Amino acid sequence: MLEKILLLLSLSLSVAEGLCKPGVGEAYKVRFSIKTALGDQAYPWNKNEMFLFRAALAFAMRDFTNGEEFGVSDIHPCNETQRVSFWFVVTRPKTMDLVDKGTVEMAIKKSRNRINGAFLLTDKTLEFDGIYPTLAAPVSPDTPPWLIVFGVVMGAVSVGIIALLVYPLVQRKLKKNMDADDEDSDEETGVKTAENGANDGIYNSTFSDDERFTQM
Amino acid sequence: MEKDGRPNWDSPMQFVLACVSYAVGLGNVWRFPYLCQLHGGGGFLIPYLIMLLLEGLPLFYMELAIGQKMRLGSIGAWTSISPYLGGLGLASVVTSVYLCLYYNVINAWSFWYLFHSFQSVLPWAVCPINSNRTGPTEECEVATPTQYFFYRETLNISSSIEENGGIHTGQALCLVLAWAITYLFIVRGVKSTGKVVYFTATFPYLVLFIYLIRGVTLHGAINGLKYMFTPKMAELANPRAWINAATQIFFSLGLGFGSLIAFASYNQHNNNFQNQAIVVSLINSGTSIFASIVTFAIYGFKATLNYENCLDRMRLLLLNTFDLAEDAISMDSVLDFYFNYKLPLFLFQAVEGTGLAFIVYSEAIKNMPLPQLWSVLYFFMLLLLGMGSMLGNVTAIITPLRDFKIMSRMSNELFSGLVCVFCLLLGLGFTTTSGNYWFTIFNDYAATFSLLFIVLIEVIAVSYIYGIKRFEKDIEDMLGHRPNWYWKIMWAVTSPLLLIGLFIFYIINYIQGGTPTYQAWNKELVNQDLLFHEQE
Repeated sequence: MLEKILLLLSLSLSVAEGLCKPGVGEAYKVRFSIKTALGDQAYPWNKNEMFLFRAALAFAMRDFTNGEEFGVSDIHPCNETQRVSFWFVVTRPKTMDLVDKGTVEMAIKKSRNRINGAFLLTDKTLEFDGIYPTLAAPVSPDTPPWLIVFGVVMGAVSVGIIALLVYPLVQRKLKKNMDADDEDSDEETGVKTAENGANDGIYNSTFSDDERFTQM
Repeated sequence: MEKDGRPNWDSPMQFVLACVSYAVGLGNVWRFPYLCQLHGGGGFLIPYLIMLLLEGLPLFYMELAIGQKMRLGSIGAWTSISPYLGGLGLASVVTSVYLCLYYNVINAWSFWYLFHSFQSVLPWAVCPINSNRTGPTEECEVATPTQYFFYRETLNISSSIEENGGIHTGQALCLVLAWAITYLFIVRGVKSTGKVVYFTATFPYLVLFIYLIRGVTLHGAINGLKYMFTPKMAELANPRAWINAATQIFFSLGLGFGSLIAFASYNQHNNNFQNQAIVVSLINSGTSIFASIVTFAIYGFKATLNYENCLDRMRLLLLNTFDLAEDAISMDSVLDFYFNYKLPLFLFQAVEGTGLAFIVYSEAIKNMPLPQLWSVLYFFMLLLLGMGSMLGNVTAIITPLRDFKIMSRMSNELFSGLVCVFCLLLGLGFTTTSGNYWFTIFNDYAATFSLLFIVLIEVIAVSYIYGIKRFEKDIEDMLGHRPNWYWKIMWAVTSPLLLIGLFIFYIINYIQGGTPTYQAWNKELVNQDLLFHEQE
């Protein structure tokens, strides 16, 4: 009895070994870049980490197929290298039928974040050859930020232009009021200086062209 | 205020700063470093400085003298020298109009980049994602994110000059803003221009200084600086180096547009423009050299970064292909496996013009720590340089036209406003999808040839038609002493000969060049990895 079980087990194992062939059929290659991601805090790769990977992948398959009871033994890795990269295939629970590539891909895509998180890695440092990560959707604000800055600057410039154009008009109005007052006082002083004598050489404002100079 | 009612600069300092602001422009930042690299680094300074003495200084002095003596814009000034020379002034005005049309578009681009710097991730640092969310858009993948941002998002460029599209609204808005600010600066004539130039002339130096410190402390900047300061004297034997030095000095000082005549016409009669001419020319050349130090530091940084990125990519490729452990190959030992990449190759990619300012520099900026700050500073500096030059350009149009009796009946503000609106409306053509190709045409052909001709006629007119003797007396009248023999020889002999030589060279070049070509950005060729292709 025991021998039969052992025989069956070794047979199944060897069949599984046969199932996982790099580059052929339903196999996927996965690559870990632990030292790149974690630097000093990198953990060494060993059988336990491999167990974690198989468990994570089994979880992904369960999650995608909604309850089919995948187990750790249904994930078959092979050709492990120093890089830390290896190929793997997935078989249906309790049978040796390979799960097709498409299903595996969709399962991994759905649970990618969870698998990354289990290993403290990212989409870039835990790569599945052939499965492209789904990038985060770009954030598009309601008003593009550049328009806001543009609005501020444009507003300031417009205010500046209007101020520069209106200011001399306002000045002229004030001056007209002032001139109206000045003319009365001028007449009195003008009469006084004429009485004192023209020999003093006082500038006679009648012939001046002040108007022309003040207008630019 | 002088007796004839012409407005004046508040002080001679304002005039000097106005000239500095006008002469120190974008060309100092993006043309001179390119020429320096093209002609053997530090050695290029020799032909550059020699041409400054032979051609730049005398012509600059001459234009200031004419403006200050005649107290009129270019048309009036040349008509006073000889009634038949009025056309010379008119030519200057027309060239200035061409320049104004397309120059403010550069300022519009600077505004666009400046406003886009206020984001947590600079938009030219990453590619936009395609609709499947699997990776960057195809066009961006083939090009780099900075190129994509400039050609697709800033310009929305079409495939050729014949394909016209609509106006890029963002660009149009920025152009309106650029003209609004120009109007704001010139609306009161020299009274407003004189105040603005205190800022536009000095602040770029502050930014350049900050960038100098930042630049030389960048990783790998020393490679760029070493490349610049090791002169390759063999290049001096190449006549192209001398011709490029002559043309660079010529265009950098902004001769022939009438701006210098216009600025000088607002001077007091006894203003000592001789010293000012020397000071401004030296400042202009000094700024070029200063800017090229900064640019080469940035080149070195960018080249080193690209080099190290490339080494890293190679290392990863080797690791993945041979499935070696991650620490089997370090950055230094990559070269043991793969010999072909050498640093100087990366430094060889010299770029000039808008490519340097908007693509190379923004790529370098996105890799600096705190890129938003550096981006804002840099584009603000570009804006100040561009705006400062625009002040001179617009003054060169307005001053001569104001001298005509018909125009002087209109108020100053209205006339300036009309000029600005006119240039704005025509300039909108450069914001269409094929606008950049039109811009290139104007940039390459609008001013270059005509200016040589204008200044050649100017110097011949002053030396031989007006006469050096009369010119001498006018200068003595203004300064109190005659110009010495150096100036007289330059005006009468050297500068005209040099200009004739340049003129002939340009004509020969033009004839030999055949049909002009331009580089087009063709979206349809993305699949063939050929984003740029020449087209006739």
